[in-house]
Amino acid sequence: MNMLTSKLIAKEFYLHRWLIIGSTIAGVVGLLIAAEGKVRFNIGMLMWLTTIVAFGIMLAMISIGNERKERTLQFVLSLPLSHGDYVRIKVVGLLLCFLVPWTVLGVGAVTLVLVMPNLPDGLLPFAVLLCGFFLANYSLVLCSALHTASEGVMTLVIITTNMGITLFIFMIGAIPSLNDHLFAPAPVWNSTFWTVLGVEAATLVITLSLPYFVAARRRDFT
Amino acid sequence: MYSGINISQTDARPMYQQIMEQIRARIAAGDWPAGKELPSIRALAAALSVSVITTKRAYLDLENEGVIVTRHGKGSFVADVNGLAGELQEEKLDEHLAAAAGIGQQLGLSDEDLAARLRRAIRNVDKK
Amino acid sequence: MTPTKHIEMLNVRKAFRFFTLEDLSLNLEPGQIMGLVGPNGAGKSTTIRLLTGLLAPDAGEIRVLGHAMPEAQALAKRDIGFVSDEMRLFGHATFGWHMKFISSIYPDWDEQYAKTLVQRFGLRPEQNVSGLSSGEHVKAVLLLALARRPRLLILDEPTSGLDPVARHELLSEFMDVLRDENRSILFSSHNTVDVERISDRITFIDRGRLIDSSDKEDFLERWRRIQLQLPAGATLPDLPHLVSRVDDGQFVTLTTNRYSEDLLAFLGNGVRQVQRMNLEEIFVANVMHHRELRGK
Repeated sequence: MNMLTSKLIAKEFYLHRWLIIGSTIAGVVGLLIAAEGKVRFNIGMLMWLTTIVAFGIMLAMISIGNERKERTLQFVLSLPLSHGDYVRIKVVGLLLCFLVPWTVLGVGAVTLVLVMPNLPDGLLPFAVLLCGFFLANYSLVLCSALHTASEGVMTLVIITTNMGITLFIFMIGAIPSLNDHLFAPAPVWNSTFWTVLGVEAATLVITLSLPYFVAARRRDFT
Repeated sequence: MYSGINISQTDARPMYQQIMEQIRARIAAGDWPAGKELPSIRALAAALSVSVITTKRAYLDLENEGVIVTRHGKGSFVADVNGLAGELQEEKLDEHLAAAAGIGQQLGLSDEDLAARLRRAIRNVDKK
Repeated sequence: MTPTKHIEMLNVRKAFRFFTLEDLSLNLEPGQIMGLVGPNGAGKSTTIRLLTGLLAPDAGEIRVLGHAMPEAQALAKRDIGFVSDEMRLFGHATFGWHMKFISSIYPDWDEQYAKTLVQRFGLRPEQNVSGLSSGEHVKAVLLLALARRPRLLILDEPTSGLDPVARHELLSEFMDVLRDENRSILFSSHNTVDVERISDRITFIDRGRLIDSSDKEDFLERWRRIQLQLPAGATLPDLPHLVSRVDDGQFVTLTTNRYSEDLLAFLGNGVRQVQRMNLEEIFVANVMHHRELRGK
């Protein structure tokens, strides 16, 4: 079972290698552009943002949605595994695939804030919450893809989470206890920060464990 | 391997019968001598791309006819009956002669006429 | 080895919105090939999906290689080679990658045999799967299953879309599998010529029900078309096992599924011709007959 698991996870990386590498590079380029200065900062950050989100969506959609449509699902299910195994391996494999660019780009963003003199370290909590949001967002999309075969539902999920990003950034700007300290010279880790982080973590846990209890129990495939 | 044996699905005769006939022919001709081991039922099926149940039936019927002998666990062999090849040939000869006799009667030939024709045929075969 | 049946289906039921598979019972012994024959939508693919664990039955039991399905499918599938004409390999990887992938998962992979098949099927390992024609793709998937030398092969329309040469090669490989009396094959196909040639047993399915399951030779021996000429005014006695009867003036064509010398004698002098029926003819006559019966 372990041999099969590692082979299948390796397969996820192999099949999505260009997407993973491309997104990482695009995100790093975005960060480098952002390091240049004011206007470029906005462009660069936008690029960084878009890259992570788009990458997450494509990963979930391609790997799960297409697998179903492209009938490679039947091929994978012909391997010596149960439906539960398939779901579990998918969750782990796709999460790991996402974590590669996410870690690089997250660390990159934090580094940028710490290193760049024109970027106050007060942005650090914001950067951390944003990265946490992306991860939680991705696992929500992943969880949805595993539970629905409907393209309509998936499209809805993606549109909603995209809007969610804008709302999230807006919300951060609107909450005084976070907003006030954005441009402080030192990072402020207050209770609001921990609360938001907690919500993100909870979302992560729920959306990653739901497949184990629901999708994995499904008896019929196709 | 056994590309010499051919099964036609457009032939009116069932596949197992086609196999039987071609095996009998080889035995009668002496190509498959007495005591020669036949391919296993499965090996023949694989070689001819034909179901095992078909070759099994062919061998079973051949055994019932006494043409082959199956030793459990050892395989099937051309029956070691003296002059079996000859027997089959003789059967064939009798069939041909019966047919000739029938046609001769239809033509109104006398026994002597028919015998003369037979002698002529023998001389022609000797010439070849 | 214990002589466990390779496939046992008992009174299986599977209901969908517009279709129900009802009361299906099926057995496959080791060393046998079974052909599954039926019109489109009859339930062949559903049956095969039930056997491979893709679907779970609503009622009844399924055991494949002794394992209960779908519960023990992870274990069962170690020894089952499943290929369906709908199955696709990963487009963004090469065929060679797939061979390495499969060979690393299954210990019984025969590298030598795989190389032979690559040659025989005319495939190129370095080629991307997305670049394969549909025929090449089918051969690729079959190669991946065959080279593992699994005990049981379950094939859904394995030769659909293949040219005659490729079909001939594939049938040859399937029969090669049967050299080993511990291996078996279940395949569904519309190609009645191929089914008639290589199957040991044949199962007919129509509209979610099993109509007939028997040895191939049995089918071929039992079914006949008999043409009679009845003198004016004569009628035929009531005949059992009559599948169909067509009257054309004095001439009557009977189709029976229980032919015997006795029947022939019973029919007497009016018989002009007795014709054997090939599998396609039996298939059509059988399905029509059962639909009529069910209509009543």
